[in-house]
Amino acid sequence: MPAHEQTLQSLMRHQSAARVRRWRPDSALWLLCLPALLIITPFLVACLYMLRFSVSADTGSINGFSLQAYAELAQPYFLRSLWLTLKLAASSTVIVLMLAVPLAMVIVTTRSASWRRLMTVVVLLPMILNLLIQSYGWILLLGPAGVINTTLLQLGMVERPLILLFNEKGVLLGLVQTSLPLAVFPLMSSMRAVSQEYLEAASGLGASHWRSFVDITLPLLKPGLIGAGSIVFAFNASAFAVPLLLGGRRVRMLGLAIRDMISPLFNWSGAAAGGMVLILIITLVLVLSTWLVSRSDVRGGS
Amino acid sequence: MGIDLRIAGVSKHFGEFQALKGIDLDIEQGSFVCLLGPSGCGKTTLLRIIAGFERASAGQLLLNGSDISAVPPHKRDFGMVFQSLALFPHMSVAENIAYGLKFRGVTGVKRDDRVAELLDVISLPAIADRPVSSLSGGQRQRVAIARALAVQPRLFLLDEPLSALDAQLRDAMQIELRQLQQQFGVTTILVTHDQTEAMMLADKLVVMKGGEVCQQGAPQEIYSQPATAFTAQFLGASNILDAIASDQGIVQLFGADTVFSTEEAPGTALKLSVRAENVILDRAPHPSGGPCAEVEFIRNLGASTEILVKNGATTVRVRLSSRDSILRTLAIGERVALQFDPEGCVVFRADAD
Ligand SMILES: Nc1ncnc2c1ncn2[C@@H]1O[C@H](COP(=O)(O)OP(=O)(O)O)[C@@H](O)[C@H]1O
Ligand SMILES: [Mg+2]
Repeated sequence: MPAHEQTLQSLMRHQSAARVRRWRPDSALWLLCLPALLIITPFLVACLYMLRFSVSADTGSINGFSLQAYAELAQPYFLRSLWLTLKLAASSTVIVLMLAVPLAMVIVTTRSASWRRLMTVVVLLPMILNLLIQSYGWILLLGPAGVINTTLLQLGMVERPLILLFNEKGVLLGLVQTSLPLAVFPLMSSMRAVSQEYLEAASGLGASHWRSFVDITLPLLKPGLIGAGSIVFAFNASAFAVPLLLGGRRVRMLGLAIRDMISPLFNWSGAAAGGMVLILIITLVLVLSTWLVSRSDVRGGS
Repeated sequence: MGIDLRIAGVSKHFGEFQALKGIDLDIEQGSFVCLLGPSGCGKTTLLRIIAGFERASAGQLLLNGSDISAVPPHKRDFGMVFQSLALFPHMSVAENIAYGLKFRGVTGVKRDDRVAELLDVISLPAIADRPVSSLSGGQRQRVAIARALAVQPRLFLLDEPLSALDAQLRDAMQIELRQLQQQFGVTTILVTHDQTEAMMLADKLVVMKGGEVCQQGAPQEIYSQPATAFTAQFLGASNILDAIASDQGIVQLFGADTVFSTEEAPGTALKLSVRAENVILDRAPHPSGGPCAEVEFIRNLGASTEILVKNGATTVRVRLSSRDSILRTLAIGERVALQFDPEGCVVFRADAD
């Protein structure tokens, strides 16, 4: 390494060391954070309360310590629910990413600003609409008396209504649709970092469109994919409205299972333990993805 | 030498706007061609059409006689160096250089040898495993060049590759680039807006303006015989002076006869292009008459001295050797006679473009 680069590097090290020493959030900054902290506090208190409840010896009140509630979760009804939740969250994440990547690519590379804006709004729309309304939309479309079944019946193409809802596929469809915008937006911002010239350089060197997508676009998109994927996974693992409305009683994801423990069974400590399991899973996924991103950053540099 | 690439009547429209207007150009095998022109004249657009990243609205690209207009870029086998360099940020230096090789069936040891060979050529043997983000500007530059040359391209295309470097490094890289091109014997097209760079590198210079080629030829020829005032100015002539054809067929400047004659009709508006170093100053009035001006500014720059002289609203820039005897006594406000060394002067019609 040439000498001037060494000096430059040591200079940069000194600078960042100086910045670390200097960086002390002053009191004004803390003051500005106060409202946000106040809003988060009840949620944190609720979490701690739940944690305490989950290790209570009594199912209906906080009383003594016991891991009974956790032990009781090891039953087929809860494990099935847990497995279903992981399966639906994971598969919806994969599907959403596969749909969101081309969408983000098209939106970012569209030259006309008005088209770009229009597409952005269309993708954004589900985030503005209430989950309840979206789910009712699917029921109107796919339900036994919905648009599709009525049409098929009238055309005589089927004799009985097709079961398009109240099964896993219906829930998966709902999860994918409601979480798609959550993935498209982070992907759009990482897509902007994939300069068109990288792709042109690759194609100039002999790469087909597909090869440059695999060799250049995907690796550069990786932090965005991991970020978007973990948001979608967390959102869908804790889904409540969608499985409730589109899955009926048959598709009991964790959110519904926990609700059932509280509402008909009054098993508060069981519900709290179930909630803790859900939080733990989501936290694990987020930590894992953060670790993956930081690892890919080491390579990517800049 | 044979023709490698023939550009025949290539035009390009972006909506209403016409960026290229019927470009005709022959690129000879093994030659180094520089496209020179001011920013926005369509150099990049022409290079991108040659590379296949842009489709021409009209015209043909003939590579060894066969039309390649419809061939996609990844099948053209050209090596391109982008203005932004476009090094892949997630790959190491070696991976960048090796990227094109995998599409040519060069793998394993052969690929590693080729990468090592190129790192040697660009005199950076020890940086193979560094991420490209850790390189200096000059190093990135060389890696981008090595990446394009690694595939032994049919045609080597460069878009203002040195514009981001500081003057000293740019100078060194120009020489290196020229040597590399000769070593590889690759037909090369380089785009630049820097006339020194173009003079330094080109076997053939193509001067562009407003989407058209205004002159092409050997650099020395264009330098000494620019076809238009625009070309003269772009190639560093510092004075483009308004003149007029007299009744006797003499070019008149500041109402006085010069040594130049013209075939234009009497009264035709002319332009006289003069390089600063081709003006000779004498004490006024000169025995043979001729144009005069008043000294406005003198600055000794060491080997040469810059002088501005003014007649009416027109300022003429003069560069004399600092040893010129007239400088010993020359003072601001003094009247001097202007004479011109015909070698560095060209007369144009004022309406010629
Ligand atoms: N994709 C494009 N869309 C519209 N106009 C363009 C596009 N690319 C280039 N132009 C226009 O074409 C002209 C020539 O551009 P360019 O070839 O980049 O010039 P140069 O490289 O000589 O500076 C410019 O006026 C530029 O604005
Ligand atoms: Mg350009």
